[in-house]
Amino acid sequence: MAEMLISLEKLNKTYKSGGSDVAALRDVSLGISRGEAVAVMGPSGSGKSTLLSIIGGLNPPTEGKVIIDEIDLYNLNREKRADFRREYLGFVFQQFQLIPYLTAVENTMLPLTTTRYPSREKREMAMQALERVGLETKCNRLPNQLSGGEQERVAIARAIVNAPPLVLADEPTGNLDTRTAREIMELFRSLNASGLTVLMVTHNPENIKYMNRAITMEDGKLVDDAGNLRAVGGSCFDRSESAGGLR
Amino acid sequence: MNLYSIAFKNIIRCRSRILFIVTALLIGTAIAVALYMIVDSMRLAIGDQIDEFGSNIVIVPRAEGMEIGYGGTELARTAIDLKQLSETDLEKISAIPDYRSINIVSPKIVASVAIKDRDVIMVGVEPQREFAMKPWFSLAEQEGLEAGANPGDLALLELPEKGLIAGADAARALNLQAGDALAINGSTFQVTGILNRLGSVEDGLLLGNLSAVQTLLNRPGEISMIEISAYCNECPVEELAAQLSGVLPNGRVTALRQAALLREETIDKFSLFSMLITGVILVIAGLMVLTTMMGSVHERTREIGIFRAIGFRGSHVMQVIMVEAGLAGLLGGAAGYIGGNLVARYFGSYLAGENIDFIWQTGLILPALGLAVAIALAAAVYPAYRAASLDPVEALRFI
Repeated sequence: MAEMLISLEKLNKTYKSGGSDVAALRDVSLGISRGEAVAVMGPSGSGKSTLLSIIGGLNPPTEGKVIIDEIDLYNLNREKRADFRREYLGFVFQQFQLIPYLTAVENTMLPLTTTRYPSREKREMAMQALERVGLETKCNRLPNQLSGGEQERVAIARAIVNAPPLVLADEPTGNLDTRTAREIMELFRSLNASGLTVLMVTHNPENIKYMNRAITMEDGKLVDDAGNLRAVGGSCFDRSESAGGLR
Repeated sequence: MNLYSIAFKNIIRCRSRILFIVTALLIGTAIAVALYMIVDSMRLAIGDQIDEFGSNIVIVPRAEGMEIGYGGTELARTAIDLKQLSETDLEKISAIPDYRSINIVSPKIVASVAIKDRDVIMVGVEPQREFAMKPWFSLAEQEGLEAGANPGDLALLELPEKGLIAGADAARALNLQAGDALAINGSTFQVTGILNRLGSVEDGLLLGNLSAVQTLLNRPGEISMIEISAYCNECPVEELAAQLSGVLPNGRVTALRQAALLREETIDKFSLFSMLITGVILVIAGLMVLTTMMGSVHERTREIGIFRAIGFRGSHVMQVIMVEAGLAGLLGGAAGYIGGNLVARYFGSYLAGENIDFIWQTGLILPALGLAVAIALAAAVYPAYRAASLDPVEALRFI
């Protein structure tokens, strides 16, 4: 049995809106094992992104616990959670969110900026990450000199540069054409195959073909969990079989 | 790649904003440097002018006994162990360490003489030194000049050996006019000029050449008092008085505090005024930096959100903002130092209303840099705190 990486216990999140409380998450409990690739599906406003931000240590829940690698995330203070994100998490955002005045390699190095690695080592780590996403030849280009797909690859390189156990992705293919989106999803699949746990919020049903588990949310509730349909993180992952299984 | 390089690259990217901050700091620092230089030079110039205006040290013979005075200054005491001053004492004055601070040394002999059955105080002086020290002296009448004609600069007056300048009251009491001959103790003097009324003890005096009065009194080489005008910018008047006491054991040296007090008061007012102006301008510069940095933080909300999401602590974000402000402060300080020196050099004399030579003040470079950096950092604290406190979820519009 795979080791549990993420454990969510009765998560509730309520926002104030126009004087009334709006529930973004209601009693969400979930376990994700190390090496899983999980798609979070659901309509807009269902609480997917809120769930992702809470798991990412950015957004404290109103109630409940988030335990990642046996660490109770919201028992840590704000600054310790920042340290946690640096060491345990990689983020891939919908609109790439690269720093416009930094080159591809500098953007990739960003999570290493506040670490104690020597400069040369930071650069080597960033180059290795760029190599994994196939962008080592464009390492000195600024974001505006790269295509959307290339920018997404830089964002993925940045997410994996410090070798975190978990990558959180929010609509990573939302701004890409179909062909580029497939390439990016292939990349996620190969990263997952190497042992990385991926949790991805997506609207696109095509994307779940590249995942080995899909959960569905509606009105802040977890309404469907396709479960661990097969061995996780293995190279035996088959796209058509996976898609069928999830459906 | 470190926090400094992020700050540096952002400065290069946001050149126009940084240029605005640097310009604000440049103006503030340049005005501070220029005002400092101008006021400092004015302090020296005004100090010298005040010091030149009358004496600030008086030396009289050392004596024990009853006081004899002149113009509020004790000249001597009656005949108990009276020590005399002589012309040889004048040479000793030049031996003091701070002699270069001395502007004018005016020796004089003072005695009462009987003229037309009246006792009148007669003072022997070295005229050009005495009149240079007391520029408020002016002549109402002068021998050879027509009434109403300008007698010119009294300090340039060549007083004949047996010439006299009469105070206004003395001239009236003795019924003297310019050109009159006057017999004193069997010797004949000629009235060269009559002083305008001063409202002081000089109105009742007759002023003659030191040597002629010494001869008249049969006291060759003797001196009753020495008045000294000294520049006190570099050496306090009390220090000069102590040095003079050391070389003149026969004399009692008195430092007159009025000039020093006037000088200090005038300079203090100038300093306070310039500090107020500088303070207001620096506060305005600081506010300009603050609003620009706030704008920058607002514009970079999403970027700050990314930093926070990928593991930057609040202190790291603050550090990036503060380093940017510090670098802008260094640039503004350096430019302000150069600008301030140039303003002082080319406009200082006009602004000060004095003909002053301004030299390039290298000693101000560090204070100028420190001032600009301190203002930039102080103004950046709040924007940096706001940046560090940004909610990354809000910043990234994650929800």
